[in-house]
Amino acid sequence: MHRYEAIVLKMLSGRPSAGFDELASASKLGKDEVMWALENLKAKGMVVVEYSEQERIVISEEGKEYVKDGLPEEQLLNKLREKEVNVADLVSQKGRIGLQWARKDNFVQISNGLLKLTDAGRIAAGFGTKDGNLLREIANGEYDERSGERSKEAMLNLVKRKLISIDTQKHIQSISITKEGMEAPKEVSQGVIDNVDRNVIAGEEWKEKEFKRYDVNVGIERKHPAIRHPMKSMIEDVRNAYISMGFQEISGPAVETSFWAFDSLFVPQDHPARDMQDTFYVSYPESSRVDDESFVRRVKNVHESGWHSKWSEDISKQLILRPHTTSVSSRYVYNIIKEMEQKEGNYNLPIRLFSVGRVFRNEAIDYKHLADLYQMDGIIIGKDLTMSNLFDTLKKVYEYLGIEVKFRPSYFPFVEPGAEFSAKMASRNTWIEMGGCGMLREEIAGVKRSKLTVLAWGAGIERLMLIKDPKLTSITELYNNGIGWLRNREVI
Amino acid sequence: MPVITFDKKYLYSMLGADMNDDKLSDQVSKLGFEIETVGADDIALEITPNRLDLLDGVGFSRTVKNFMHKSKKYVYRLQDDVPKFSILVEPSVKKVRPFISGLVAQGLTLSGSDLVNLINFSEKFCETYGRGRRKIAIGMHNFDKLKTPLVYRSGSDEDFVALGNEASMKYSKILESTEKGKQYSQILKSDKVCYYPELIDSEGPIAFIPILNSERTKITTATKNIFVDITGTSEYAVNKTADLLTATFMDMGAEVKKVRINYGKTQMDTPELAERYVVVPLTRIEREIGAVIGFNNVISLANKMGYEAALVGNNIRFRVPEYRLDIIGEQDVIEDVAIAYGYEYIRPAPIFYSQRGGLEGSTLFNRKAAEVAIGLGFTEFSNSYLTNEEVNFNKMGLHRDDGAVALKNAKTEAISMMRTWLLPSLLGNLSLSTKEKLPQNVFELDLVFAVKDSSVNEAYHIAGVSIDTKANFNDMKAAVEGFLKALGIEHAVTELNHKSFIPGRCAEIKAGSKRIGMFGELHPLVLKNFGIEEPGTAFEMDLSTLE
Repeated sequence: MHRYEAIVLKMLSGRPSAGFDELASASKLGKDEVMWALENLKAKGMVVVEYSEQERIVISEEGKEYVKDGLPEEQLLNKLREKEVNVADLVSQKGRIGLQWARKDNFVQISNGLLKLTDAGRIAAGFGTKDGNLLREIANGEYDERSGERSKEAMLNLVKRKLISIDTQKHIQSISITKEGMEAPKEVSQGVIDNVDRNVIAGEEWKEKEFKRYDVNVGIERKHPAIRHPMKSMIEDVRNAYISMGFQEISGPAVETSFWAFDSLFVPQDHPARDMQDTFYVSYPESSRVDDESFVRRVKNVHESGWHSKWSEDISKQLILRPHTTSVSSRYVYNIIKEMEQKEGNYNLPIRLFSVGRVFRNEAIDYKHLADLYQMDGIIIGKDLTMSNLFDTLKKVYEYLGIEVKFRPSYFPFVEPGAEFSAKMASRNTWIEMGGCGMLREEIAGVKRSKLTVLAWGAGIERLMLIKDPKLTSITELYNNGIGWLRNREVI
Repeated sequence: MPVITFDKKYLYSMLGADMNDDKLSDQVSKLGFEIETVGADDIALEITPNRLDLLDGVGFSRTVKNFMHKSKKYVYRLQDDVPKFSILVEPSVKKVRPFISGLVAQGLTLSGSDLVNLINFSEKFCETYGRGRRKIAIGMHNFDKLKTPLVYRSGSDEDFVALGNEASMKYSKILESTEKGKQYSQILKSDKVCYYPELIDSEGPIAFIPILNSERTKITTATKNIFVDITGTSEYAVNKTADLLTATFMDMGAEVKKVRINYGKTQMDTPELAERYVVVPLTRIEREIGAVIGFNNVISLANKMGYEAALVGNNIRFRVPEYRLDIIGEQDVIEDVAIAYGYEYIRPAPIFYSQRGGLEGSTLFNRKAAEVAIGLGFTEFSNSYLTNEEVNFNKMGLHRDDGAVALKNAKTEAISMMRTWLLPSLLGNLSLSTKEKLPQNVFELDLVFAVKDSSVNEAYHIAGVSIDTKANFNDMKAAVEGFLKALGIEHAVTELNHKSFIPGRCAEIKAGSKRIGMFGELHPLVLKNFGIEEPGTAFEMDLSTLE
């Protein structure tokens, strides 16, 4: 008999029964060890273990979101309280779900394509729906099983809607010793090897004794590996995609002058994107100059002739938090073309560059909106490049990441022709917008003089996570950094 | 992006009887726009900021019909160049709103829908292209109620009977008490002076610009002849807008007449409708799109996009339509040909190259550093670069220093500066994880920001925190030394007095003479500030000095 088994049996003899925690603390053994001993003793018929089952209600991620915002139909009812809604306008998935449930419970009626509250709906809008009230009761710990009968239908609904699940857990209720246990000799056996130690290996004890057999199904507590943050891990994948195609990584400042973020990219000085509403301006230090005066003059000329309005150098000196990483591309296109002009074209074309970095927008942040996000930017500088080359390159970058992309015409101030590309989100069978691409305008950074073509693109990275991980409900979830969330994450 | 809602019946009456929602949605997306929503009566479209001429239902229909080869409206010419009347521009407007253009549209038959379209379009257009009426504002008047000629000037605070009113009101009162007045009053103020630009005829003001028109000259469905004034701060934009509106009114069946603008020393007649051509070699078009298209096809594609086009030698000459404000050069025209060609027909073609790719030195080094941190049992976190004084300094037991990059205009109160170090972010995260099992070992590797010699220094830091019932200085020291050893960094440790740590339990790390960071036991006050009630140790190092 193993030492742990002997201890446990001794503890049990002399009392009719014991609870698990009581036994573990009296034995001075660890919980895993007591559990292991009990499994062995049970198999030998020396103890009887009685279990109890406990039901626990677990709220799903979707359910948690609704606890905060209300169920989709409640959100819809609230909206309807203020005004009638056109059925055709309910295009979001959430809107559809809301409509489906609201109709089921006769909270709404539709006439001439307009959605209106019924009397029942008006009451539910004020006091919450049965499903919603139950969900909130559960979340607040106010749910009482005795009132179960009253809310049985709502409970079934919540389970069906996958907002909650009933988790049954098995607990040891009591342990008692049997006759066999009482009578068994409590001697620690000398003849079998339990823990393997030096003597077993060096002294070759294993040749004379048998190894004690373990129960491989014994319950243990899982270890949590230390892992990289999912976003950082995704960024490494993105970098790998680019270097697999011969791209060189570049970087540039996050606190940037308006010159490099806007003016050098031919964004007019009165463009709405430059408003304080959208872009963060730095108050300290407030501005920074651009060294190459002749380039600044060229940018001024290009703006004044292209946009037919005065260009101010002071505005271009203002420091901002970059709204896109295209500022990095702009700096490099300018530098490369300048160097090529000096070295008279001694360059190995095409040059392929990419960057990954944070970009900023002046958002009111909440559980859905962030003020800084990651973006990737790419450029190819070469002779006679085409839109077909651009589409091919982007298709392959995303193919490496396991994502299908498609293109359609769109407008971005720095490129012409310009395109928007979106990625297929298989889990929801939709396409979501990824970024913009095109041929850099020849007004930018001496492109026209150089007679080169520059293909350029920029795209969000957090959105890749949404596609790759269908369990992710919003991108803010990525930056909560909950230890529990990371401990339970699959890294694949 | 601007969104415009069109009345579906009105739009389809112009697009032809065989138009339906699906067909339109298909054409619109090929043109590069998106339909936001389709209702029973309305259709809402998202228009990109280069094609604000499409905020006009008439212009939108023309573009779609040309695109479908259902019309051939390429050129807008007036029957004669004789100006209908003159507008005298007084020097008083120079400081506030120097430019004006105008046109007269004659012989209109306006339906209610026409009127709604004109009003919606000019409102949206002045909001977007007109930068909230500052750069451009459009006013429309019943021409038959005018006593021409007109004078455009900035005068004194006059009485004015504004549109929809019976009684007169002072200009200043309009700015203070009406919705439009409040919304746009800022445009009229500069250097604490308030200007009152107005357009007047012999009977008094017809418009308080760019706020409200007069009741006297208001347009209704009974109006046959319309005078349009366009005022603003950009001469180019003011004149081009007159060209654009000419196309709209001509498509509505009007005869458009010029108006003479007399600036004193110079004078001009608007709409100018100057012929403008962009000439592009066929080879360039084919090369940039990446397809062999041919002369005849390019011309047909150009027609689809509303250009009259012709072959000139080996080049194609595109006549820029009067209503296009966005055509700057060859690339803009090439894009239009590409759109007409269809992006879905542009076949991906690989680029051949021989260079290898590579990563930045800092990326390679940071990857190694993260790998070692994970080997030491730290899980990686990632946080925003944006923070505030309370978290970055106060909660850490520090006073604000002047090395922080400060922000001017954050919409969110929790944001006022760029973080100067990583530890506050990590402690912020851990404050939300106090119910999770101990030990908790976490790290972050990312940029921090500091102002040095009035310029911004961006550096990669690594920081880690251990929260455990038995967390102590020596264990953290063991981790830090293991980390530095693995990265091959020789270092020395000296005692450091730092407010975030327990006195006598904090050390500075130096590599040679360079300070690279610190570690120690976090001060109970700091832990408590973050709601953490178990012992904690931490380190932070500047990786940019190590690489």
